[in-house]
Amino acid sequence: MNDVLQTAKNCRHYAMCKIDFLGSGLCAPGAEKHYVCFYPQGRMDLYAALAEGRIPVTEKCVEIAESCDLCGKCDYQCYFVTEMKPSAVMKALKEHIALHLNSGGEVLASEKDSILDGLKKIVGEYWATNDRAVALTYAHDPCPMAEPRPPEYVIMPESTAEISAVITLLNRHKIPYAVRGNGSSVMGFVMSEGAVIDLGRMKAIDFDEKNWLVKVGPGVAAFDLQKAAVQRGFRVNVAEPAALVCANIMCSGIFSTFSASYGTAADNYIDAEFVGLDGGVFRLSDRSAPNLFALSKEAAGIPGICSAAYIRLHPIGADEGAAFVPFASLEQALDFTRECARRRIGLAIAVLGGEYISVFLSPTKELAAEVKDTFRDKLKIEYLVLVIGDQYALAAIKAMGHHYFDNRMIRTLNLGLPSLTSAKWLDLLEEFADGEPYSYIGLKRFPDLAEAALAPSPAQLVRDVDPELRPFFEKLYSRPEMTDPVWLNMFRIVSSRMGREKHVVPLIVYLPIDNKLIIEINSEFKRIADSHGLKNDFGFITPLDDGKRCVFEYDYYLDQNDADEKVKMRQAMMEAGMMIERFSAETGTVTWIKHVFAQGFSRKESFLYSAAGNEPCP
Amino acid sequence: MPVTEAGDDGKHLLTGATGFLGSHIMAGLLSKGRGVVIAGRAAGSESLQERIRKLLNWFGMEHLEGLLEFHETDFLKIRLGLGKDEYESLCGRGLSIIHCASDTSFAEKNRTRVMRSNVENLNEVLNFACASRTRCFHLISSAYAAGIDRLECPEVPVNSKHFNNVYEESKAQAEDIVSAKCRKEQIPHTIIRPSIVYGDSLTGRSLRFNALYFPVRSMQQIRDIYFDEIKNNHGIKSAECGIHIKDDGALHLPMRIFIPKQGKINLIPVNYFTKIILSILETPVNEAIYHITSNHPQSMARLASYTERFLKISGIEVVVGTAAAAEMRNPPEELFDHFIKAYRPYISDQRIFKRENTDRATGGVLPPDFSYEIFERCMAFAVSADWGKKLFQ
Ligand SMILES: Cc1cc2nc3c(=O)[nH]c(=O)nc-3n(C[C@H](O)[C@H](O)[C@H](O)COP(=O)(O)OP(=O)(O)OC[C@H]3O[C@@H](n4cnc5c(N)ncnc54)[C@H](O)[C@@H]3O)c2cc1C
Ligand SMILES: NC(=O)c1ccc[n+]([C@@H]2O[C@H](COP(=O)([O-])OP(=O)(O)OC[C@H]3O[C@@H](n4cnc5c(N)ncnc54)[C@H](OP(=O)(O)O)[C@@H]3O)[C@@H](O)[C@H]2O)c1
Ligand code: SF4
Repeated sequence: MNDVLQTAKNCRHYAMCKIDFLGSGLCAPGAEKHYVCFYPQGRMDLYAALAEGRIPVTEKCVEIAESCDLCGKCDYQCYFVTEMKPSAVMKALKEHIALHLNSGGEVLASEKDSILDGLKKIVGEYWATNDRAVALTYAHDPCPMAEPRPPEYVIMPESTAEISAVITLLNRHKIPYAVRGNGSSVMGFVMSEGAVIDLGRMKAIDFDEKNWLVKVGPGVAAFDLQKAAVQRGFRVNVAEPAALVCANIMCSGIFSTFSASYGTAADNYIDAEFVGLDGGVFRLSDRSAPNLFALSKEAAGIPGICSAAYIRLHPIGADEGAAFVPFASLEQALDFTRECARRRIGLAIAVLGGEYISVFLSPTKELAAEVKDTFRDKLKIEYLVLVIGDQYALAAIKAMGHHYFDNRMIRTLNLGLPSLTSAKWLDLLEEFADGEPYSYIGLKRFPDLAEAALAPSPAQLVRDVDPELRPFFEKLYSRPEMTDPVWLNMFRIVSSRMGREKHVVPLIVYLPIDNKLIIEINSEFKRIADSHGLKNDFGFITPLDDGKRCVFEYDYYLDQNDADEKVKMRQAMMEAGMMIERFSAETGTVTWIKHVFAQGFSRKESFLYSAAGNEPCP
Repeated sequence: MPVTEAGDDGKHLLTGATGFLGSHIMAGLLSKGRGVVIAGRAAGSESLQERIRKLLNWFGMEHLEGLLEFHETDFLKIRLGLGKDEYESLCGRGLSIIHCASDTSFAEKNRTRVMRSNVENLNEVLNFACASRTRCFHLISSAYAAGIDRLECPEVPVNSKHFNNVYEESKAQAEDIVSAKCRKEQIPHTIIRPSIVYGDSLTGRSLRFNALYFPVRSMQQIRDIYFDEIKNNHGIKSAECGIHIKDDGALHLPMRIFIPKQGKINLIPVNYFTKIILSILETPVNEAIYHITSNHPQSMARLASYTERFLKISGIEVVVGTAAAAEMRNPPEELFDHFIKAYRPYISDQRIFKRENTDRATGGVLPPDFSYEIFERCMAFAVSADWGKKLFQ
């Protein structure tokens, strides 16, 4: 496989090229034409399929290729996340089409279709299609469980009324459909051989500040909503920046580090508007509305299409900061996390492992690997508990006897990462600690010393970045927010880097913060993945409901183009699933996220506490 | 009353042989052709024998491995964790015991661990001493078990209620327990109290790089941080602290070392320690306490000037007292102070250790004066061994 095809086939489908998360501008044709095929992500799939002769050249292929002006913006975005440069693929795509046209190759026109005509009548000529090239870009994701399923139609409605009409029409013709946000759930949920309804055009954001809410259309991405909220002095509880907010709630209820205080699932919204499976429209607050607050064990698929959600707004304090508290063991990290959650210290809390920390902070894979070793071997830090809070929360952590890396030190560490990995003086810090690990962090002047020793600078951090992109990245990292842990947690632009080396397959459970149980499940996750030779690591843990429960993510990693590894991953996921179900049955307190899928509008109590809804009504 | 040393087959049972002093005792005995029974533990996947073999190579004594015998023990377990037969056969040998194993952490946070290693562990070791009717039980203690109640410390049982740290406290308790039990069971015993031991004064070689080495190593790292900052990063941070490279290439690193009292540091080289202990082992006197200490402890100012010369730096000032709370310390000063915190009592120590018993046993052989040449030799070795990381390469 040549490098260009390799790049094309490694698109992770995390949709980061669909949001302007670096402030470098969006792919213009994507922003204008909305279909995923006009974004770099769709173009990658398209090129791979054309190069491998899987589809013919269609009219849309030509439009897609010609709309790209090779501006190179996708390189900034994609390199930031995956270290890949898609513009080479874009160039190859243009060349492929140009060659095809120049050599008189056939261009396949869309087939006439009465259903398509009906759809077009509802959404407008441009916003429904049966072009095979478009369909291909809606056909698959890197999920090892899902086989490609190109849809017959892709439809992009613009309003609740249009969604309703589309659903009615599809129902009438018994055409199955999938509803798609940005497709970044990457679990094979958004494919259908019938129709895919892409909600990407419905991007309305309306603030109602006096009611502490914002009404969002189903095409609004987390990043864009957070940006709009912050501009008005608010914060919303969102997670992955490219995830569409309505989709994320529906998929699993949004869980983020801020879920420690803002909650998850139904805690996130005040109301929502739906188009039911029959095409009827309802508001969740209607007395006659279907009860989406309760979890149904029998539920299969989404209960309707969320056409708007009224999202809660939270205040942002002027004195907020972050504390990264280091620990040598998961047990210690959990003790501290539980303590903070029970005492309601901090807004956002998460136990992070070495993999996340190193990958999030590092602009390249190579540096991430070195940083991970440095944290573990030299600094003796296995886990960092992140707490974001106001000055009183941060003071409380100190009063609890913990030393932590604050905003300034995190910035120093981040911009000085390359020096950190080669710093000999680090050995001293732990060797000389004699029973007081990490006490150096508490020294008043340690930040100054660290700055002298690490020489933090954007130039240093990006010194191993691709030379062509280095000037851009140097400028990018000189922006204060790029090293501000509070901002980074709110906007989450670095978290998809967890899929940089390989596609990430998260295994997520809700359970009590019970050290023994968590450590047991953690080692079982590891044992299973190791037995199949799969890369795996602890992900994160965030307390929920005042620390009575938590959400725990463990990650398996997959080379999405390696057929053998896919087989192993399927086996490992099955074993992990069985293991979780065993713990569920034994403890009555462990819930696999699988049972929450498509029910994220429910109350968190319905999946955090197994008794909820299980007792028959007298 | 002198004790006849060593069991029937002339061997000692030695604990702590994987440590700094224990390994030197082992090497000393081997060099005299004496067999040693090693009671110790594996470390991870490395067996006790493999650990000791590595040390024998370091001493250039791999050919003497045949004089050693290995028993993997756990002092907290009954019969030292040995099988019944193995234990009983050891008991029947009438070995002398040198108990050198000890946790040397000073940290209060490690109190439980230190007490378990240094005090609780004694139970089974002493049970073995009784069961085997050992010829003599030698406890390697510390001069600092004397505590801080008196400045004058004779070679007598500890009579102090106050200590600098849990380590000293545990060593004092251990002495007490050993004396009481041995006296009760009529087991001849001695207590040997070295002060701070550094490398070999003749070769500079050492296996541990704590105590004397910590401050020098800290200073070296601090020097390198600022050298690098000046050379590669415009020296802005250095300039803020008045740090600069002088015309002769040396680094001017203005920093104060705060020591609580006008005291000194009592140092002895490990080759001296070994020589003295071997003499004591030849003719131990029951219930005698031996101070292996220096009559001429070093001042911190002298060590600071040695350090400046060795590291090619200037600007270090030793200040008696503590920095005022409001006094803004520069970052190197604060970090250095943090690093040497645990050692502060030992670098400004006013205690005077009497050593009549030791002088009697050794004919008054004293440790060499701690000259710059010795300091340089030891530090050069430490640097070449990368402060222990390249020790066995
Ligand atoms: C790297 C990475 C990290 C992640 N971390 C987190 C995390 O920390 N927290 C978290 O909560 N999630 C996380 N996710 C999961 C992901 O963000 C969610 O699955 C989210 O739903 C994806 O949004 P999307 O718009 O791409 O949804 P899609 O993948 O398009 O859709 C997700 C599901 O919602 C349905 N759906 C979409 N829109 C609607 C609608 N309007 N009405 C009804 N149903 C709809 C779809 O049919 C599908 O079942 C992560 C994903 C990735 C790739
Ligand atoms: N070095 C000095 O300057 C100095 C000065 C005064 C007195 N002393 C005394 O001299 C003795 C040796 O000190 P050192 O410098 O050689 O220390 P060291 O290098 O740290 O060695 C300690 C030894 O004790 C063993 N040990 C520690 N805890 C143990 C436990 N719980 N169970 C079994 N074995 C254990 C260690 O075994 P592992 O290797 O298996 O851990 C090692 O062999 C100590 O009694 C110390 O108090 C030393
Ligand atoms: S190069 Fe093409 S695909 Fe990439 S951002 Fe620019 S227009 Fe979009």
